[in-house]
Amino acid sequence: MLGAFFSALYRFWAPRRFLLFALTLLLLGGGLAGLSQLQVREDIEALLPDDLSQVAADFRRLREAPFARKILIHLRDSDPAALPDAADRLAAALGPPYFTRVMTGPASLDTARLPQWLAENLANLLDGDDLDRLAAALTPERIDILVETAYRQLLSPEGWVMKGMVRRDPLDLRVYGLEKLRYVNPIGQARIDGGYFHSADGRGALIVADSPVSLTDSQGAERLLAAFDEARTVLPPGVTATLVSGHRHTLANATAIKGDLARVLSLSFLAVLAIYLFFLRSWQGVFVFLVPSAILLVASGVIALAYDQVFAVTLGFGGVLLGIADEYAMHIYFACRGSGRERAELVGEVAGPVTGGALATLASFAVMLVSSLPGQRQLAIYAMTGIVAALLLSLVVLPHLVRPAPAGGALRLPLFSGGQRRPRKTIVALWLALLAVSALFVGDLRFDGELRAMSLIPEELRQAEHDLRQAFGDPRGQAMAVVEDADSEVALARNREVFRLLRARLPEVAIVSLAPLLPPAADQRRNAENWRAFWTGKEGRRILADLEAAGARLGFSAQAFAPFHAGLTELPPPVTPDSLRQAGLGPLVDALMVKSGMLTLVPDSAEARELFAGENPARPAGVHFVSPTGFGTEVGAAIQRDFSRYLLLSLLLVLALVVVIFRDRRRILLALVPVVTGLLAMFGIMGALDIPFNLFNIVATVLVIGLCVDYGIFMVGNGTGAGAAGVDLSVLVSGLTTLAGFGVLVLARHPALHSIGVTVLLGIGAAIPAALWVIPALRGERE
Amino acid sequence: MNYLLWFLLFFSLPLTVWAEPTAELDRVLSALERSAAGIETLASDFTQEKHLEIFRETLVSTGRFYFAKPDKLRWETTAPVTSGFLLNGSGGKRWHQRAGAPVPFDLGREPGMKLIAEQLLAWARVDLDWLRSHYAMTLVEEHPVALRLMPRQEGARDFLDHLLIRFDTEGRHVASVEVHEAGGDRTLIHFSATLLNQPLDPSLF
Repeated sequence: MLGAFFSALYRFWAPRRFLLFALTLLLLGGGLAGLSQLQVREDIEALLPDDLSQVAADFRRLREAPFARKILIHLRDSDPAALPDAADRLAAALGPPYFTRVMTGPASLDTARLPQWLAENLANLLDGDDLDRLAAALTPERIDILVETAYRQLLSPEGWVMKGMVRRDPLDLRVYGLEKLRYVNPIGQARIDGGYFHSADGRGALIVADSPVSLTDSQGAERLLAAFDEARTVLPPGVTATLVSGHRHTLANATAIKGDLARVLSLSFLAVLAIYLFFLRSWQGVFVFLVPSAILLVASGVIALAYDQVFAVTLGFGGVLLGIADEYAMHIYFACRGSGRERAELVGEVAGPVTGGALATLASFAVMLVSSLPGQRQLAIYAMTGIVAALLLSLVVLPHLVRPAPAGGALRLPLFSGGQRRPRKTIVALWLALLAVSALFVGDLRFDGELRAMSLIPEELRQAEHDLRQAFGDPRGQAMAVVEDADSEVALARNREVFRLLRARLPEVAIVSLAPLLPPAADQRRNAENWRAFWTGKEGRRILADLEAAGARLGFSAQAFAPFHAGLTELPPPVTPDSLRQAGLGPLVDALMVKSGMLTLVPDSAEARELFAGENPARPAGVHFVSPTGFGTEVGAAIQRDFSRYLLLSLLLVLALVVVIFRDRRRILLALVPVVTGLLAMFGIMGALDIPFNLFNIVATVLVIGLCVDYGIFMVGNGTGAGAAGVDLSVLVSGLTTLAGFGVLVLARHPALHSIGVTVLLGIGAAIPAALWVIPALRGERE
Repeated sequence: MNYLLWFLLFFSLPLTVWAEPTAELDRVLSALERSAAGIETLASDFTQEKHLEIFRETLVSTGRFYFAKPDKLRWETTAPVTSGFLLNGSGGKRWHQRAGAPVPFDLGREPGMKLIAEQLLAWARVDLDWLRSHYAMTLVEEHPVALRLMPRQEGARDFLDHLLIRFDTEGRHVASVEVHEAGGDRTLIHFSATLLNQPLDPSLF
C-alpha cells in the first residue's frame, strides 16, 4: 500500500517536476529563514531535568552557592611581603566589563566597625552557655589582669586608639563575640593578614572577583581570559597569577571540540568524498550528498519556529545525528541507478523498506520525547523532523533527479552483490563465535555516570585547581545545607539547628554559617533577658564590683567605665540582616542568604553527606543538603536511569516495528541480526578493553540502534528482489559514510566526541558485515 | 581708575596673606628635611604625661626610645610599670612585667598598632612627605620649629584633634610631642638625652 502511494506520488509529480523542485527550494528557503531567527542558548540547563525532581531542585540550589560563579585568582611568590602590593596592582587592573566586585580580602575587615559592633551586640548574641563561660572566666584575679592590661595599654602609644574600647569593654567581653566570627570565613584555610587573603604558608594570596560573563559562554570566556592575561602584566617580576573559574573549563572544552572538529571533520570529509567518488561514480551522487545538508536547514527552521530559544547542544548533536540521513537517499539512488525499470515501480518497491527503516529510527528518537531533560526533548523533535524530511526528500524528490546508469556503469562488488557464492557456513560460524566472545565480556562493562567524565580538563587547569585547593581549601567545592521557609523566623531557627548539629557531630570541620551572628529573634530576646538578669544577678554584681575595685587600685576615675555600664542595661535593638550589613558583613549576608534560603557551608565530605542523609534521625527538619560530589553522582545516576529506559524502550519499539513490518518470525529474526550483533559486539569489546560506558555512549547507542535496524530492514525487506545488489551497496555505502563521518571521532581529544566515535565505530563496524554477509548466509542456509 | 586699584588690592590681599605662611612652612620643612637627612639612629629618654578624663590623676611614665633607619623602633616604659614593644619591619614583640617572654605580633593583623607604628616611625624619620599626606600642617614657631598637625582623615579625627610637634634647636629630631584628643584629653611626651647616630645594640630590635 505504501509502495502504491509513493508510486502514485511519483507519477503525479513526473509531469510537474519544476513545480516540485520549486516547492522543495521554497521549503529549504523557509528553513534558512527560520535558521536566521534562531536564538541559541549555551547554558547547561539543556542537560538538567526541568521537572520537580530532586536533581532539578539541587541544581537550582547549587547555582546559588557563594563560590559557584566566582573567579578565584591565586597569586604566588617566594617573598610573602611582595604579595599585598601585587594583589592590589592586579585588582586595580581587573575591571569591567569582565571583572566586577574584585576583592583582595574580606570586606568586613576594611574598617574597625566590626569589633565595636560585636561589643555593642553581645546582649543579643551571647547565649546561656556563653554567659556561664564568661562568669567562670572572670575571676577577681582575671579582672585584675584585664584592668592592668587596659592601664598598660593606655600608658603606651597604643592607648591613643584603644581608649574608647577600654571604656566600652574593659573586661574584653568582645572576645566572646569574636568567637562567633570564626564561622563566617568562607575561605576556610585562608589567613587574613593585613586585610588580604593569604595562604597558610604565606606564599600565596587570593583575589576573588565576580564576572557578568556567563560560565557557559565560550566566546565571553575567551575574552575574559585575554583580559586577565593583559591585566597580569602589571605584576612585579617573580609573582605569578593563575585564574580558576568555570570559564576556563568552558573555554578548554570549546577549544578542544573546535580543534577536534576541524581535524576530524577534515579527515571525515575527505573519507566521505572518497567513498562517494568510488561508489557513486556519477555527478548525480551530489544529490545524495546534499540531502543531509538540506534536512539540516528544514529541521533547524522547524525548531526555530517551535521554540523561542534553541539549546546549542540540540544544534550540535542534532546536526551530527542528521549526518546519518543519507542512507534513505543512498537506497533510492542505487535502486534508480541500478535498474532501467519504470521509476514509479522502483520507488514503490523500495518505499516499504525505506519507510520501515525511517520509522525504526523515528521510534528510537521518539522515546526521548518523554525525557525530563529539555535538551533531549528538543533534540528528539529536531532529529525526528530531520528524519521525516530526509524520507520525503529521498522518496518524493530524489527519484526525479537520478537517472539510470548507462549499461555496465553500475558498480558490482564481488563479495556483496547477489548471486556470488559465499562461504556461508564459515560466515555463520565466525558470527556465532563473535557473539559468544562478546557475550563473555559484556558482564565486564562498567558504567561511568560522572558528569566530569564528559568534559575535558587540561592538565594545566587540573594543576591550577589542585594548587588552589592546597593553599586555600576548596571554597568552590563546599557542600551546602539549605534551609527554606517563607517564615524567616522558622528559617533562622532551622539554620541554628543545622549549625548546632554540625558543631556537635563534626567539631573539627570548618563551618561557614550566619547562625552565631544572626540567631532567631526569639533567641535574641531570650539572650537579652538572660544578659540583663546576669548583670543584675549575683555573679554579674560580683564581676562589676571586682572591676570597680581593680580600677580604683590603678587610679581609674569613677566614670572611667561608664560606657560599659550603660551597655549592660541599655539593650541594643535585635540583630537583623541589615544591621549585619551595616557592620561590614554585607558580602557574607548576601552570600549566605540567597533566593533559595539560608545556606550553611561545609566541606564536601562523606561524613557530612551521611549526617544529612534522609535516613539519619538526627537530621533537622526542612533542611536540604546539596553536595557537589553527590550532585554529580545524582545527575549521572538520573541520566543513566533515563537513558537505560530509553535504550530498553527503543529496543522494544524497534522490535514491535519489525514485527509489524515483517509479520514472519524468521524474517523478524533476520532483520534484528545487525542490531543484536552491533550492540553485543560494542558492549563486549568495551568490556574486554575496559572502556567505561558513559552518558555519551548511551546517546550514541540510540543512534546505533536506529541505523542497525535500518540495515536489517533494508536487507530483509528488499534483499532478494530485483534491487538486491543495490541494497547491498546502499547499506555498505551508508555504513561506510557513517563510519567515516562518526567513527573517526574516536580520534578526538574531547571525551564526549571520543565516546561517540567509539560507540559508532564498534556498533556500526560490527553491524555492517552482519547485515551484508550474515543475513544472506542465514537466509541462504534456511532456503 | 582708583576704584579699580582698590578693588584689586582688596581681593589680592587675602591671597598674599595665605601664600606667605605656606611658603614659609615649605621653607621651614625643607630646612628640617635637610638637617634630619643624615640621622641613621636615635636613642632618647622620654617622659610622658597623660591627662585623661578616665584617671583621677595625671599619669606620668618614663622610659627609653630607640630608632634605627628605616623601620626599627623600640618603645620601652620603665616606670611606673615595665612594658614596651619593638618593631622590626612588619613584625614586632610586646612585653610587660607580669607576662613571661615577649609576645610576637604582626602589624598586618593589628590595625591599631599599625597606625601607631606609622606615626612613630614618621616622627623619628622626620618623614615630612608622610606627615604632609596625613596631616594639614601649620607653623607655630620657627625657632625652634614647632608644627601643628591636624588629621586629614575622618577616622583619625574621631580620636585625635591635633598634634603639636616641637623639634630640637638644630631641627634634627623631635624634642616633644603633644597629642590633643577630640574629647579634651591630652598626652605630652618630652624627649631628652637624645643621642644621634650612635651604634645601637642589634639585640634591641
